[in-house]
Amino acid sequence: MIELRAVEKIYRRGSEEVHALRGIDLDIGMKEFISIVGPSGAGKSSLLHILGCLDKPTKGSMKVGNVNVERLSEKELDEIRRRKIGFVFQQFYLMPGLSVFENVSLPRIFSKQKTDREKITELISMVGLKDRIGHTPNQLSGGEMQRVAIARALVNDPELVLADEPTGNLDSENSDRIFELLKSLHDVGYTIVMVTHNKDLVSRADRTISLKDGRIL
Amino acid sequence: MVFLKLALKNLKRHRTRSLLALFGIATSVAVLFSILSFNKGFEKGLAKELERTGVHFMVVPSGCAHEVASLVLHGAIIPQFLDITVMDKIAAMDGIEFASPILVAQLPNPQKGSVDLIYGIEMSKIAQLKPHWEIDGSAAENDHEIILGSEVAVHMRVKPGDMLSYPNVNATFKVAGVLKKTGSQDDAFIYMPVKTAQMIFKKPSGATAIGVKVKDPISLAMITESLSEKVPGIQIVTMNQVMNSISSLAASAKVLSLSIAIIAIIVSAVGVMNAMLMAVFERTQEIGMMRAIGASRFDIFRIILKEGMLLTISGGLAGIIISVAGNDIIEIFVRKVMPYVPSGDMTRFDAGIAGASLVFALLVGILSGLYPAWKASKVSPIEAIKG
Repeated sequence: MIELRAVEKIYRRGSEEVHALRGIDLDIGMKEFISIVGPSGAGKSSLLHILGCLDKPTKGSMKVGNVNVERLSEKELDEIRRRKIGFVFQQFYLMPGLSVFENVSLPRIFSKQKTDREKITELISMVGLKDRIGHTPNQLSGGEMQRVAIARALVNDPELVLADEPTGNLDSENSDRIFELLKSLHDVGYTIVMVTHNKDLVSRADRTISLKDGRIL
Repeated sequence: MVFLKLALKNLKRHRTRSLLALFGIATSVAVLFSILSFNKGFEKGLAKELERTGVHFMVVPSGCAHEVASLVLHGAIIPQFLDITVMDKIAAMDGIEFASPILVAQLPNPQKGSVDLIYGIEMSKIAQLKPHWEIDGSAAENDHEIILGSEVAVHMRVKPGDMLSYPNVNATFKVAGVLKKTGSQDDAFIYMPVKTAQMIFKKPSGATAIGVKVKDPISLAMITESLSEKVPGIQIVTMNQVMNSISSLAASAKVLSLSIAIIAIIVSAVGVMNAMLMAVFERTQEIGMMRAIGASRFDIFRIILKEGMLLTISGGLAGIIISVAGNDIIEIFVRKVMPYVPSGDMTRFDAGIAGASLVFALLVGILSGLYPAWKASKVSPIEAIKG
């Protein structure tokens, strides 16, 4: 599904060059559940951004399906992101003022698709928030907000769900619920890649990729 | 629709800041709307007032056109007099419907301790010269009957049938009628037959001006040209010239007030831009998230631009409401500070001007939103999400 070959990512910080990723070779198959671990500065987020087509490798190649993404324009990357990838962030990033339903429907609006009321309601029910469908984010708990974010990530039927520390802002009980939700998504056929510091959750993923200093250990 | 809702919600998130920016726009649009409405009302009122004079042109002694404008509109006193024989020459010309002398002068009133404004007019021509007049009582039927302007009548506390004496000129007049309020300068005069006025002012053949009405307005230019050639020492001022003369006097005030309104709008547009730029900087992460979940740069641009448009359109609407609500106050203020304002409502609501002001507000919104929207569309999703 995704193939990375000798991928490097170099950022410039003033006059200094920061090597966030150094020679990453990675294959992610369909329906895998992968966790990415590593200390701060290991390159986890950089890898996730490249996998999510938010960023392009400085060197090396990356294929999504059969498409080489390193030569694609920003618009083409936007399109891949819309059709194939769903994002879940540590800080949830729900739009304040919009209801649960409207938040979940946003990616469909951005991809110029009709708001499928039935489908969106079904997704919200699936994450257990049917009774909160008209609520705004400030009326939800952290765990509930993350469940809304997961429903939002799924609304365009992506092949891959990328979760950046999805339980980082949650207590252990809510972390478990979110993990179980991601696990259930994997069970129904989604490919999940999750960056986490939570050792307990790491052990429950199918495969773990450990990063250090921009390299896979 | 969701973009619009999003824009509205974003504005509501920073209520005070949005309200302050909106207040700035509302104030400047209110000023602009009031000025445009007033200008339109002023020109309409002026045209109406000139139409009410019932003549096509005035013949006066050679002098300043502004004095003539004052004469027509204020009944001003011009120190020079025309010889009434001029009138016979005018009346003898082809195409003249009538020519009527007017004598305007001040008459001290020792009984009331005031100086009264006398307007000598041919009473038989009142219907033509002052077609809009409504008189309580009757028109003056002989040389010793007068008509009082409504303000004069109130001030002197006289009513139709009362007598008014001027011992200084050995004259006593019967008040035949009192003019119903016209809202114009007509309310401040005492109208008497022109012959009586000539007698008491010792100008047996003098006239301040001669009002002339032609049979066919199309031949106006030809008649005035030929009259200038035939009668030396006179000045002919058509009602259009009076209107232009007054309009040109008002034009500088108009330019100044419009400049102030434009400056106010520019200042408030900068306020809107500032408020929106701050909102964009504060929402960098949110914008990055929207980019990550599929929003294109153009989507972000549109959302931010809509915020600016929403802000200025609401401000524009509020401004128009403020201006309409304050119409009476604006009118009183303007009438106090301006040397001449025609009668009638100057600041009446005009849908065309309201529409134009809203379109202008919208344009200001677009212009002031362009830079913040462009800035937001340049936000990198990775940098934003990294925080």
